[in-house]
Amino acid sequence: MTNSIVLTLLMSLPLVGVVVILFLPVFNNQTDFNIKFVANATAIITLLFSIAILPLYDMGVPTLQLEDTGSWIDALGVTYHVGVDGLSILMILLTTFISAVAIGSSWNGIDKQVKQYYIFMLLLETGMLGVFLAQDLFLFYIFWEFTLVPMYFLIGIWGGKERVYASIKFFLYTMAGSLLMLIAILYVGIQAGTFNLPELIANRELYAGAQQWLFWGFAIAFAIKVPVFPFHSWLPDAHTQAPTAGSIVLAGVLLKMGTYGFMRFNLPMFPEASTNAAPIMATLAIIGIIYGAIVSFAQTDVKKLVAYSSISHLGFVMLGIFSLNEIGIQGAILQGVNHGLSTGALFFLVGVIYEQRHTREISEFGGLWRAMPVFAVTSLIVTLSSMGLPGLNGFVGEFSILLASTGSDALGDSPWIYTAFATSGVILAAIYLLKMYQGVFMGPLDNPKNQALRDMNRGELAIMLSFLLFIVWIGIAPSIWFASMDATVADLIQNVVMMAGG
Amino acid sequence: MNAFGLAPLLLILPIIGVLFNGIVGRYFLDADRSTGEKWSGWFGTAMAVGTFIVSVLIFFSLGANDHHAEIVHLFNWFNIPSGNFTIPWAMQLDTLSSVMTLVVTGVGSLIHIYAIGYMHGDRDFHRFFTYLNLFLFFMLILVTGSSYLMLFVGWEGVGLCSFLLIGFWFDKPKGEGILNGDAARKAFVANRVGDFAMILGMILTFWAFGSMEYEVVFESALDLYTTTETVFIAGIEFTIPQVLTGITVLFLIGATGKSAQIPLFMWLPDAMAGPTPVSALIHAATMVTSGIYLIVRSNVLFEIVRDSGHQLFGIVSAPDLVAIAGAVTAVYAGLVAFTQFDIKKVLAYSTVSQLGFMIAAVGMGAYVAGMFHLVTHAFFKALLFMASGSVIHGMEHGHHHLHEHSHGDDHEEDDFDPQDMRFMGGLREKMPVTFWVYIIGSLALAGIFPFAGFWSKDEILAHSAYGLGVGEATPVFTFVRWMLTIGAFCTAFYMTRQIKMTFFGEGRHEAVKHVPESSPLMTRPLAFLAFLSLMGGALNIPYLTGGGGEEASTPVGMTASVLAAEEDKGLNLAFEHWLEHSIQAFTLEEDFENVVGPNGEHFFTHVPHTPTSLQYDIAISSTLIAVAAILIGWYVVFRVWPRSKEDPDPISQWPVVGFVWTFFQGLPLDTLYMTGIVKNIFNPLARFSDVVDWNFWHNFVHNNLIRDSFVALADFLATVLDPKGVDGIVNGVGQTARNLAEALRRPQTGNTGNYALSLFLGVALLVAFFVFAS
Amino acid sequence: MQVTIEWYIALSTILFTIGALGVLVRRNAIIIFMSVELMLNSANLLLVAFAQQLADAHGQVLVFFVMTVAAAEVAIGLALIVVIFRTKNTIDIGEINLLKG
Repeated sequence: MTNSIVLTLLMSLPLVGVVVILFLPVFNNQTDFNIKFVANATAIITLLFSIAILPLYDMGVPTLQLEDTGSWIDALGVTYHVGVDGLSILMILLTTFISAVAIGSSWNGIDKQVKQYYIFMLLLETGMLGVFLAQDLFLFYIFWEFTLVPMYFLIGIWGGKERVYASIKFFLYTMAGSLLMLIAILYVGIQAGTFNLPELIANRELYAGAQQWLFWGFAIAFAIKVPVFPFHSWLPDAHTQAPTAGSIVLAGVLLKMGTYGFMRFNLPMFPEASTNAAPIMATLAIIGIIYGAIVSFAQTDVKKLVAYSSISHLGFVMLGIFSLNEIGIQGAILQGVNHGLSTGALFFLVGVIYEQRHTREISEFGGLWRAMPVFAVTSLIVTLSSMGLPGLNGFVGEFSILLASTGSDALGDSPWIYTAFATSGVILAAIYLLKMYQGVFMGPLDNPKNQALRDMNRGELAIMLSFLLFIVWIGIAPSIWFASMDATVADLIQNVVMMAGG
Repeated sequence: MNAFGLAPLLLILPIIGVLFNGIVGRYFLDADRSTGEKWSGWFGTAMAVGTFIVSVLIFFSLGANDHHAEIVHLFNWFNIPSGNFTIPWAMQLDTLSSVMTLVVTGVGSLIHIYAIGYMHGDRDFHRFFTYLNLFLFFMLILVTGSSYLMLFVGWEGVGLCSFLLIGFWFDKPKGEGILNGDAARKAFVANRVGDFAMILGMILTFWAFGSMEYEVVFESALDLYTTTETVFIAGIEFTIPQVLTGITVLFLIGATGKSAQIPLFMWLPDAMAGPTPVSALIHAATMVTSGIYLIVRSNVLFEIVRDSGHQLFGIVSAPDLVAIAGAVTAVYAGLVAFTQFDIKKVLAYSTVSQLGFMIAAVGMGAYVAGMFHLVTHAFFKALLFMASGSVIHGMEHGHHHLHEHSHGDDHEEDDFDPQDMRFMGGLREKMPVTFWVYIIGSLALAGIFPFAGFWSKDEILAHSAYGLGVGEATPVFTFVRWMLTIGAFCTAFYMTRQIKMTFFGEGRHEAVKHVPESSPLMTRPLAFLAFLSLMGGALNIPYLTGGGGEEASTPVGMTASVLAAEEDKGLNLAFEHWLEHSIQAFTLEEDFENVVGPNGEHFFTHVPHTPTSLQYDIAISSTLIAVAAILIGWYVVFRVWPRSKEDPDPISQWPVVGFVWTFFQGLPLDTLYMTGIVKNIFNPLARFSDVVDWNFWHNFVHNNLIRDSFVALADFLATVLDPKGVDGIVNGVGQTARNLAEALRRPQTGNTGNYALSLFLGVALLVAFFVFAS
Repeated sequence: MQVTIEWYIALSTILFTIGALGVLVRRNAIIIFMSVELMLNSANLLLVAFAQQLADAHGQVLVFFVMTVAAAEVAIGLALIVVIFRTKNTIDIGEINLLKG
């Protein structure tokens, strides 16, 4: 096996930016242009780098690629092992893209402790990349916990009124789940004598006896992160209090770490337990879909509405994963990307008006289409993408998942019941998103404060267009996106079905 | 030489229009209003006409291609190789989609031209044409898609355009804009309920037949059916009729959403909040007919279910359910229509009612008749809507004129409504062109010989009377027949009422005196559509000679092969001959003619098709009913209808009729939905869920139970347990160290001299020690 | 007159004593500093003398190290004194007792 340095390099790029920013002077009377410039440049270079290494990635190979390994703590069997495959390649791209967008969107919004802010954003990027790249449980856990720290500060320092409450809740809630996972990780690692994931999967029988417990140890940590109903209570707080960029990253990437964890660890390591748990997880997913949507409808705060809609959308992803077939998992991964794009874009859009009006109450708005037509049109497209209009990205993921759930062998005798309930989320999505859209953009423009609103500026438009590019691309030509993960997912499903069946 | 290669233009041209008007339209308008309008309007129209030309070329190419379907593959959409799930973007060009594209682009082009006149002066002129072109784009995807999933793209897309266009005037003052937005939302959500069923239907189709493409699905459905094989969906065994019953019922629900049938029809009347060209294009001629298109497209599936006799829950078979839904809607909407005062709402309910006719027709297997009525209805209903738009436009002008010339006078400004027929009357002389085209449209709608509606409606009634294709009229057919007859009576009745209230008698508002005739941009498309409404029946004229009454009494279906073998087709049944190449039930019957089932039954021994010759008894009786309705209507109007808004409704005082009148005026189903479900169930449920999530789960469980008990525990530890117990020990250790340190502190004076001295003394001591020790 | 090693020892002892007294008695930091230098150099002198006496170059080499370290010490020491002067406006070590316990 040849070691490739590119992934390590990719992870380190944001750190380079951090070091540069550390040494930049802060001028008292000037804008923090140099810091912002370096942070943006770092994020964009990381994004470009992640795109540039794509030719090195072979879509036909199901196993890990571009691996980099090194010894770390030999006594414990802990290694440094990073690599990428079909499960993570899109997550990597999503991370670099969302991070670049989030950093770009903070240009005007952040007015205090600018230096620290960007350092945390870049640290967060490294952490998230590490989570998706790590192929060693120990390394994974370190990155997993590491992402909490910058996010904690991002919410706690630059957040809204209740920011301290929200940040502590976010930290503790996630931490509590992670500890269960830590116990499971240690058990697995000690039983097998290694923390290296491919080896662990190959030597599954060493810890298979305890897999029902281990599954839940991992599952609860991931379920909190997703969040799966009923572990979602931290999400509305974190989202409403986080600064715009924080919300974008939170919705765009952090939640995907949970769903990714299920696919990366739970399914291959505990296939029998996963198959057994599928009906339970799918049921929770469906409750999340419907419950999230209904609660979302009752919200008057735009950001909270979008936050609850995340619970609903992530429910689809969970349903796709626990359909345990090729279409379902691929749909789930793609839906994860879609949710990152649509909800990320929605949070960005909320940020644009929040910056000007300092309120997010739907009743404060109305008729914004007149004041900001470009904003209204882009919002419309994003809203439609979020509610799964065919031809835009949301539909591709949702439909694959719904299709897969009916054909699932893991969901008992009548899997179509799951499908039917999940599909009602499609109706509900239209109900709550259109309510929001109508409330904000339609009706007469009679609030004088709204009449003075400016439309999007060029920078904001550029960010929106980059979102829209992917929203439309995935919507009408998702073949290449599916192809990037097909081999890996087929392999994974084959393993799960073989192990669970035999 | 064929034009199939041009098919992508059907989608590209409207998108160019969307981009042009969406991106630069605003600048053109801002730079110079009148030039901008010309650019916006005519550019959009040019794109529509372009698609019409392409449609015509494809039409001729199909003729030259022996009517064989052509599939134009664009590129892959869904493609999950490991899951065997591939759906391409592909266009199926056959005679059925050709009919639909011609209607959509033809009527669409006329409405584009009309809209240039109608929308003149609107501040969002460019936005309107953006939406119209976008609608065209999605509608063309819907009718040309080669798979259910592509159809669904258009299906949802037109729903979106409908939402956008209903809410087009979203910021009208006095709360009207908000109402428009509500109407738009209602339309979208109602459509989504139908789409919910559509999605489930498509998923079921995929797992049963491994594809969503029409050709594959139909072929394997028939294959499996004739070999009586079963399918496994997630490990459960189903017979083909079972699966198909599920699929067809789900598709029916989808169709009721889009085509405004019971139980999902209540959005369509509200949709009249949109600009009138929209009502004509989307809510009369094209979008709302996509439910009929869906069922006609799926004719094989419906016919297999009919053939198998499989019944849903053992009660009713799926095709019969379709027919019943259509027939009931036809009557219900017809009854509601005559209680309305808004000129467009009457037409809206009329549309619902006519869509019911079509649904009933396709439910009975009369696919050609349904499509025929769809086409003629597109002509005359678009005509009626556009003419009503012309009336509204005129009333607005008249009112505006009145307003301009009467400063200071107090008019009854506030309750004037340009769409309320109670303010109209006597417009015959003011708007002669509009009046005459309205008459033509109404006669066509009422089904008076020889207008287009006569021929198409008659075909449907003939089907229901004689059960053509099925061999005999089942009780369901008879039920449908009588319902449709009542529906036909209502149709003629409310149209007469509308014409009399609008065009005859005295003007009931000052504004009427100042009403001008609309501009040629509006009236010319009207005249053209009037021509089509007059002559549209020629598309599918049955044989007028050849046995007539004799055959009518014992109608025997001609098999498709006989029809195909016919040499001299002439103009007669041209439409049927055209469509029989796409309605697979015809062609499949040929293929499977000799297949004999296990019980010796022949598959598709019946072939749904239109009567080959005119059924005189039906024709005459239905005409008489229509004429009677017109005469009664003519007599009744102005005797019992209130002439102005202040007058009470005398008819509501009548013993039985009054109850029906009041009942239908209150829109019982709509009230049931909006008050019963939305207001009383859904909204409280949402609020309740929010309370549960926030107050209980978020606040109580997390904040009170978990956090507060933790804080209480922490308090206890911090104030009681810790200081007295643990802290005592810890503090004792600390205190000792502290005392020790206090003592050691003293020598530290901080004076360098002291330190240096002690250093030297120390060295001196050491030296002395070593010297004397050794 | 032969300058024997005793002479060097004597001179070195005198210089060292002067330096030691200076460090202990004087309050001016600069003077103390100079006294320290004096003590260092007295040691240097002795080192060189013995190296010569024993014909061993190690002593000579060590002197160079001491001088280098002394130079560095001077640099840092003077810098410290300057900083202290800036903050305290005095270099009287009697005034400087921050290390008082």
